[in-house]
Amino acid sequence: MRRKIVAYSACLFVLGLIQSTVLDYIKVFNVKPNLLLAFVVVTALLRGNMEGAVIGFLSGLCLDVISGKLIGFYTLLCMYIGLIIGSVNKRLYRENFLIAVFFTFVATFTYEYTVYFFSIFLKGKGDLLFPLKAVILPEAVYNCVLSIPLFIIMLKLHYAFEDAGRASRKY
Amino acid sequence: MLRLFKSKLFILALVTITVLVIIGISSRAGSAVNTVGNALGTPLNPFQKAVAFLESKVGGIFTYFEDMKQLKKENDELRAKLDELERDSRDLNRLREENKMLRETLNLKDQFSDYESIGGNIIAKDVGNWFNIFTIDSGTKDGVVIDSPVITSKGLVGSVYQTGPLSSKVISIIDVESAVSAMVSNYIVIVRGDITLKDQGLLRMDRIPVELDLKVGDTVETSGVGGIFPKGILIGKVKEIRQGSTELSRYAVVEPAVDFRRLREVFVLVDKTKNIETGNEER
Repeated sequence: MRRKIVAYSACLFVLGLIQSTVLDYIKVFNVKPNLLLAFVVVTALLRGNMEGAVIGFLSGLCLDVISGKLIGFYTLLCMYIGLIIGSVNKRLYRENFLIAVFFTFVATFTYEYTVYFFSIFLKGKGDLLFPLKAVILPEAVYNCVLSIPLFIIMLKLHYAFEDAGRASRKY
Repeated sequence: MLRLFKSKLFILALVTITVLVIIGISSRAGSAVNTVGNALGTPLNPFQKAVAFLESKVGGIFTYFEDMKQLKKENDELRAKLDELERDSRDLNRLREENKMLRETLNLKDQFSDYESIGGNIIAKDVGNWFNIFTIDSGTKDGVVIDSPVITSKGLVGSVYQTGPLSSKVISIIDVESAVSAMVSNYIVIVRGDITLKDQGLLRMDRIPVELDLKVGDTVETSGVGGIFPKGILIGKVKEIRQGSTELSRYAVVEPAVDFRRLREVFVLVDKTKNIETGNEER
């Protein structure tokens, strides 16, 4: 349990740091990916809805603290994304990375549209079609690509946690 | 009853409601929740600063050879320009003295003499793709106050949105939620960020009076109306005028004087008179 907390905190810290600094320099089509969101999706898929929701909550909080105009908006959004994706994981063969890629795409789409809808569209500062082409689709593709290495790393962590869990149950 | 408290659904509902309340509270500028949020982010600041520093170093290596060719060309241009500037500088000195004398006689107060400038480096950018908020490495410790204007030597950048002990968040003028009252040849207009123009680093000018004869290349400055920005800070130049279906729907695209893609260092202007007031309150 303690190792798990340390591992997750380290992941969140590093991803948050990368997200707020280096990513700005590797924009593709003027869009940068959302590493923390991909992290939530991958974790939720591998570890189930409880951990998905907790990691979603913490990642969202991380996003809120680093930037964001309101504290809590990303927190809530990421928590539900983690919860919902975590709930479907039992029905799928989760060790296939294509599943992670697919869910990253869907999650990015939902996430970005929600953010856009509440913080820009409702204030009358844009239409509903523009963001799709300019931001959401490129970002979803970018996130999908990045979710593959993230998935491989998290799969290793997942096996490590499973082993640790089995070992501790013996005693 | 106990089972209810332990059920996952209950916990979920509780968390959701709590977070919704927090969102509500934090939507008020300068609320305590935002202060707590910024304090949570403070441990990241030194690391962000370190990464930003490394980036500026590493970025230099990659462009080194590319720059060499350009530098030679630029050097020649700059030499020519220097001669020109030296001549201008002499004129300027003379004019400055003259201006000072005339101001004294007219008893005009210098706009910026009330402001103290605090330097800051940009250490982090916004995590998403919708907004243009960035973090600078000076905070309340250095005397940064919420709503202070942020500038560079070239022109207006934005204003301080939230402050933390070691860092503050700055909302730039190209952000969708930013609106600045501006002045073009003595007419007041509104310059705001636009979601479709943001990526090109451009601004949109609205509420252009019908009688204003706007031309491409006109200078746009802050008007001083609204209380955040002092009068006379350069915002940019009119780049394009777009005519809507009616005369009232005319708007213009403004190119800011500041290049937001290559922004590294900024200055925060802190109103000294305001500082004294708050100081008195504390005592």
